[in-house]
Amino acid sequence: MKFSFFHLMPWTDLEEAPAQWPASNAAFVPERGKELYDNYIATMAFAEQCGFDWVGCNEHHFSPYGLMANCNLIGAALSQRTSTIKLAMLGNLIPLLNPVRVAEEYAMLDVMSGGRLVAGMIRGVPHEYIAYNVVPDESRERLREAAALIVKCWTEPEPFGWEGEFYQYPSISIWPKPMQRPHPPILMSASNEESAEFAGQHRAMMGMTLIADLAVAKRCIDVYKQAARASGLEPTPDHILLGYNTCIAETDEEAREIMREGQRYFHRVLMHSIRDAQRLVIQKSRFFDAAHGERHINRLTTLKERSIDEMIEAGSIFCGSPASVVQQMRRVRDALGNGRFNINMKIGNIPDAAVHRGMELFRDKVLPEAKDL
Amino acid sequence: MFIEHTIDLSSGPVHYQKGGSGPPLLHLHSSGGPRVSPVIERLAQRHSVFMPVAPGFNATPEHATVKTISALADLMGEFARTVIGDKFDAMGESFGGWVALWVAVRNPELVEHLVLEGPAGLRDEGTGGVPADLEGRMRALYSNPAHAPPETRSPQVLADTQRARDGYVGDISYDKALHDALPGIRARTLIVMGTRDTVVPVITAHRLKAGIANAHLSFIYGAAHALEFDAPDRVGPLIASFLERGEAFVVPTPDAA
Repeated sequence: MKFSFFHLMPWTDLEEAPAQWPASNAAFVPERGKELYDNYIATMAFAEQCGFDWVGCNEHHFSPYGLMANCNLIGAALSQRTSTIKLAMLGNLIPLLNPVRVAEEYAMLDVMSGGRLVAGMIRGVPHEYIAYNVVPDESRERLREAAALIVKCWTEPEPFGWEGEFYQYPSISIWPKPMQRPHPPILMSASNEESAEFAGQHRAMMGMTLIADLAVAKRCIDVYKQAARASGLEPTPDHILLGYNTCIAETDEEAREIMREGQRYFHRVLMHSIRDAQRLVIQKSRFFDAAHGERHINRLTTLKERSIDEMIEAGSIFCGSPASVVQQMRRVRDALGNGRFNINMKIGNIPDAAVHRGMELFRDKVLPEAKDL
Repeated sequence: MFIEHTIDLSSGPVHYQKGGSGPPLLHLHSSGGPRVSPVIERLAQRHSVFMPVAPGFNATPEHATVKTISALADLMGEFARTVIGDKFDAMGESFGGWVALWVAVRNPELVEHLVLEGPAGLRDEGTGGVPADLEGRMRALYSNPAHAPPETRSPQVLADTQRARDGYVGDISYDKALHDALPGIRARTLIVMGTRDTVVPVITAHRLKAGIANAHLSFIYGAAHALEFDAPDRVGPLIASFLERGEAFVVPTPDAA
């Protein structure tokens, strides 16, 4: 089993939930922002010393949910503070961006880090499309074309032009090109069956997060494997990354209390306006088909309403003492056959000291047991 | 409106169609034979388009002394000097691209711009090619079967056309002499490839890009091999812009934005 340390970089100081989307930025204090960036980047760099294989960044807009509007900037900072850990951009929201710019920035990260980039090509959560004024209905086809263009930017030996449905560039020749050949490994989201099929068709690694039900997750993984095999890739456990909100403390009780407080802030404050915006996009566009859209909303609602114990039981989170967490990981691994976990320990406003303690417990007590899962 | 003509050349008669007005453009057809595609119709709005038929295609008489691609290119060069009589731009689809390359090699002083749409002639043996079965052929030529133009020729004419094509090509998939001759091409060249082209592997485009001094490569996303019918809305404007604006075609214009 391999582990990724993931961070959302949340804003932790709000008293009340934002009233609407986008969240007002009136409460943002730059000096506090500087502190948070310093702490978060230090924490993420510390993941290398704790035995994590990847450190994961991601992109979100217009919300205290996450302060990484461009996660490549954080990746660049980490490339200078680490030496062996893979830098997993999970990832750039490709349909919202200039794909040539993404190809360039990813190539820069790969070269700057000495070939340590994992290139996430993510469609993104629905409300991000409002932020960048991109038609959500086109998201899948934009992702399909942009992914092809980015790979072309990385691999084409000579300058070339691109005439596509969404993107037209008469002359492209990126500097630098990536260090990894033929190109950095690609990861795509597979949190529903449609996305899972898409990831498999692209022979990418698959990533899944916010798992509400192990049986549903298993179906997505099966769809991914089938699509990957049909496209010429025999997927291994290493191709399957599962994202888990995780709290590790000395005892189960302590972990539950820390997680409970963090989840409360996460759902009450950070997710409040996002849920409304997501519902709007799903209802008013073809971002998902009707069935997928309903399942997505149900998944978010389910995760919000469950207790800590119910979420552990459902296989949605890892929470407890090191021994309990290893047991929970083993159960998920046995059920889903993944070879990677993407661990998010900074849930809501969980104190950074508790996150660091959890990372140390992971290093000293979880990893020695879990690495052989 | 395209009008049919015949010209007597040194080795025999050559049938051709001519349409449009403006600077001359020589269009050399694919192994499917000459067809006025939406791309050609668009180009004819700004160009005089000449579409000669390779002897033996579409029930035209074969020429006893024209048996190879390079010989066919010499005949097309003679056609251009006789009918067009001045400098011209040349373009070719697949088989026609192979011929157009030889035309540009043999007539460097005459060909100003050269457009190659999925050009044949420089693929490795055992790679690419047009599948023999109809279903496979349709998949290789069109990303969507609905893009195929209607077939109006009789089975006999189609069979004779195929035989003529086989006669010119023989068993050659990689034309080494052409590859060696590419540095002699002076024409500003546009290579157009579909990203779903399985007939002409992308190595062909790379060889051309490396061998021709002033070449530009453009990919048509999602398009298969028969570019003029599979993606006319993107191929037509691209070629028109290249022919009209030369090297400045890479500069965005308000119309294209």
